[in-house]
Amino acid sequence: MSSLSAITFHLVDDNDIDIAVNSKLLQLAQISSNIIPYSSAGAFLKKIEEDPDMFLKNPNVVLLDIMMPNVNGFECLDKLSELSEELRRHIMVFMLSSSIDRNDIRRAEAYPMVQKVLEKPLDIYLLKKSLEGIFEG
Amino acid sequence: MNEKIGILYLDDEEQNLLSFQALFRRDYQVFTTTSAHEAITILNNNPIHIIFSDQKMPDVSGVEFFETILHDFPDAVRILITGYADIEAVIDAINKGQVYRYVTKPWEANDLRICVDNALEKFRKDQEIIAKNRELEKANSELEKFVYSASHDLRAPLVSIKGIVNVARMEGLDPKAMAYLDMIERSTNKLSDFVSNIINYYQNNQSDELLEEIDFNEMADEIFSKYEHYEGAEKINFRKDITQTSPFKSDGHRIRMILNNLISNAIKFSDLKKHECLIDLQVTQNKEKALIKIGDNGVGISPDILPGIFEMFHNSTDKNIGSGIGLYIARQAVRKLNGNISASSEQGKGTRFTFEIPNKS
Repeated sequence: MSSLSAITFHLVDDNDIDIAVNSKLLQLAQISSNIIPYSSAGAFLKKIEEDPDMFLKNPNVVLLDIMMPNVNGFECLDKLSELSEELRRHIMVFMLSSSIDRNDIRRAEAYPMVQKVLEKPLDIYLLKKSLEGIFEG
Repeated sequence: MNEKIGILYLDDEEQNLLSFQALFRRDYQVFTTTSAHEAITILNNNPIHIIFSDQKMPDVSGVEFFETILHDFPDAVRILITGYADIEAVIDAINKGQVYRYVTKPWEANDLRICVDNALEKFRKDQEIIAKNRELEKANSELEKFVYSASHDLRAPLVSIKGIVNVARMEGLDPKAMAYLDMIERSTNKLSDFVSNIINYYQNNQSDELLEEIDFNEMADEIFSKYEHYEGAEKINFRKDITQTSPFKSDGHRIRMILNNLISNAIKFSDLKKHECLIDLQVTQNKEKALIKIGDNGVGISPDILPGIFEMFHNSTDKNIGSGIGLYIARQAVRKLNGNISASSEQGKGTRFTFEIPNKS
């Protein structure tokens, strides 16, 4: 395992197939096996509220789908922006979308927490390269 | 019948106001005043469709009065009443759009009636246009929302399939299963390309130019690596020859759109009977413009089809692949970048697309 193995990955997506695929890819590319799936942004936000200590222990990378019912990716980002500074420093977001819309990219990049907007299907090596740049560079 | 039509008349001579009232009060709701200040109060409190104003008044001229109300009451039709002496000021006001018509003094009842009829006609037409514009804006924004969500709904399942194939490839399933998965992937790519083109077509028409610094080498690598897994791309040798001498700024999204369409087109029409299939990307660039050529040694385009290939749904006859929208989109995108595109081809030998786009740095 690489030095990325300390990261906890939070996969937030209403599509269970994409969650299964992405967590498998994270493992096959030997990035990390600390993976927590959430079927909605609400479930993810609830987890932070209930167990903030877990988020403070390790670096966290969130793969956040943009298009989700109820709370979508952007609304989730708004909620994450309200977290304490300490928590925010431990959380890094990659936005995922199956159709890359230019307005979405511009909008997402305005959030300091967002590292990148990635097109689905997830290019796992591209993600790995970005993470290595951030954590090892 | 004209109960709701409001006419305001501003004139410093009481006598004029009285005759005006007498002339129109039966057909319209008429307001008259000698004070510009009061005229504004009337405008604020009543629906006024037509405004008459005398030009020569002690405190403020008619043109000046119209100027002050233009912003707050743009819909009302403005008519100036004036003597011949002021004609230059009037012409100026009409040319600036502040005044619709003028009536010479002393006015005649008949002229004034015709003037009111014309003004009403104009008012109604303006309102119709405003209403139509609102409808169009609404329809446009609804369509935009629809394309956005439909494109996502169409793509999301395709993307999941591609993801599953990626996982299977990394897991290293047995070759037979992989061969079937490859076929699934190719079909998925085709459908996904088509959906992309619909989105591209739409976005190309809608969105403004978004300038960015272009690195043609990087862009070529990115696009080539995307197509290496495509159906029919196994045998293709992708080559690039890029000379970039100065910074180049343009709309990267549209350039990618153009290159994607031309390269996927070259792959579709490659000649697999040939010993080696080639796709060449050549970029030469200077401070003013970039000249981009994409050549292949594919099956070529027959001379009778060549002139029409940039039209929508042209469809090549011998090899019926795709929707025939790709080259159309490419040309539209080139045009949006203020460039031009052309194609030359020889059957059996290959095709070359050339396009030129200005440097906006």
